[in-house]
Amino acid sequence: MNKTEQFSRPGASPQAALTAAQTGIESGRRALLHYLGAMALVFLPCVLLIDDAHWLNIIAVTYLMGGLAAAWNIIGGFAGQFSLGHGVFFGIGAYVCAKLYLVFGFSPWATMVPAALFAALVAVLISWPTFRLRGPFFAIATLAFNEVAFVIANHFDSITGGPRGLQIPFKAGFSNMIFRERWQYALLMFGFAALVIGVSVVLRRSRLGYYLLAVREDEDSARASGINVLAVKLKGMALSAALTSLGGTLFAMYLRYIDPPTLFTLQDVGVKFALLSLIGGIGTIGGPMLGAALIIPFENFLRAELANALPGLNLAILGLLMVLAALFMKRGVAGAWADLMRRFSRNAGSGR
Amino acid sequence: MSSELLSVRDVSKQFLGLLAVDSISLSVRPREIVSIIGPNGAGKTTLFNLLTGQLAPSAGEVRLRGEQINALAPHARAQLGMGRTFQIAKPLIALTALENVMIGAFMRHPALSLARDKAMAVLEKVGLAGVARRRAGDLTLSERRRLEVARALATEPEIMLLDEVMAGLNQSEVGQAIELLQGLHAEGLTFLIIEHNLKVVRAFSERVVVLDRGQLIAEGTADQILSSPAVIKAYLGEGHQ
Repeated sequence: MNKTEQFSRPGASPQAALTAAQTGIESGRRALLHYLGAMALVFLPCVLLIDDAHWLNIIAVTYLMGGLAAAWNIIGGFAGQFSLGHGVFFGIGAYVCAKLYLVFGFSPWATMVPAALFAALVAVLISWPTFRLRGPFFAIATLAFNEVAFVIANHFDSITGGPRGLQIPFKAGFSNMIFRERWQYALLMFGFAALVIGVSVVLRRSRLGYYLLAVREDEDSARASGINVLAVKLKGMALSAALTSLGGTLFAMYLRYIDPPTLFTLQDVGVKFALLSLIGGIGTIGGPMLGAALIIPFENFLRAELANALPGLNLAILGLLMVLAALFMKRGVAGAWADLMRRFSRNAGSGR
Repeated sequence: MSSELLSVRDVSKQFLGLLAVDSISLSVRPREIVSIIGPNGAGKTTLFNLLTGQLAPSAGEVRLRGEQINALAPHARAQLGMGRTFQIAKPLIALTALENVMIGAFMRHPALSLARDKAMAVLEKVGLAGVARRRAGDLTLSERRRLEVARALATEPEIMLLDEVMAGLNQSEVGQAIELLQGLHAEGLTFLIIEHNLKVVRAFSERVVVLDRGQLIAEGTADQILSSPAVIKAYLGEGHQ
């Protein structure tokens, strides 16, 4: 993928005639600093102060899911193509690297990038026909791909272990991507989330990023601006799928056990990425990570406190929360925050 | 032949039982301003969509600089220098005015900084520099129309196809818009416009074509056309002075 052309660096203009204040467009370096700095500020105290396996696990899963939701957000949020089939790419990253590690002893660090490229290729192949569909029809088609992946994984047990799954023995070592300490996993997942957020920041300020937004808003208008709508959607989907696959690899090496239900259960994977983005703020850079930070710990709390009292109550409460968010915060927490800031700054402006 | 920038020959478009465009031939020369008028349902927007590639013709051909472009996708036509606006302006409401115009500017300027500078220059030209940072969703109708023109202009077209850009504007806004278009024409831009406002047609067109029920029923200078009884009958209805 030739990203260097698409991801042109801002602020490199020789005259640099326009300032950020005039255009409202933050410089790329500042935007990166802003988002990654905020993430690190939350992460560091958490990991330095907490020495409890239960909480470190929640932190690790939160960053992993935040990164995965942010990866989904590239095609689901920026481009508005509501994929519910990202479990396919998640599964590819998990199975390819786990299998190659088990059979040949290949380090997941070495295989995760080829696996991600393979996921991108699969994404292009299955998206080509489905991108002709719009709105809910596209979502339903991608949902079907997720179910197909489930059946395939169950069926080809010589590769995937079928319903028995793949068990990865505990053999700690950096090259195995298997660690003794929970904080090491938390750091790994933080790194993944930071990578995806970093890619999102650069993408959002590139031509491809703007084109994804244009395609979301109005395809006819995008075409009139010289945008090849199908090509832009495919590029967005490929990038999103590749990053999702990386997350799948980390997930497999963290759990050290994968089977079709853990990888392809919709409410835990494909739909979850979309829901976290919706709660946090779909189409924004930080929203999906914010959604994960709010929902994953809360979900764990509900499961621990309520699941025994009345099975399913935790899911009912989570569902209710999502309905409320869909009704009253259409642009998620990040959107509500932005509206609040806008109202505040407008009031400040008129008060002068 | 070579003096034609954009043309259609015997082009038709059939929608099931309806012949929306019936074997129309029309050509636009470089730097010309041609207006298309006609009652609602005459096939004006359908003809536009055939020209810009939104629709494929059932028969006939579309030519750009003499080359047949029937099978060319809309985005490819935009890249060849055809800019268009839509009857219903569709700005990206979540983005700022500047970012909206950048969407157009990126076509010829892939780098963000260059697209941004280009977009800012276009905003200044159309008189929207003051609202560059405002969200497109917060702009007035008149500003949205200008923004639509700006986005198309940012693709650096040779010909602009404007679909009722004056609709809904008040008199002074219409005056400003005509002034803007005249300025662009003086810089060498060619125009094909659909317009209901006959004052605009009179003030801004060199040539007027009249469509009615899918057919081209008259063609001539604005004065000739607007005083022709047949046109008045088709366009304004019977008994109009």
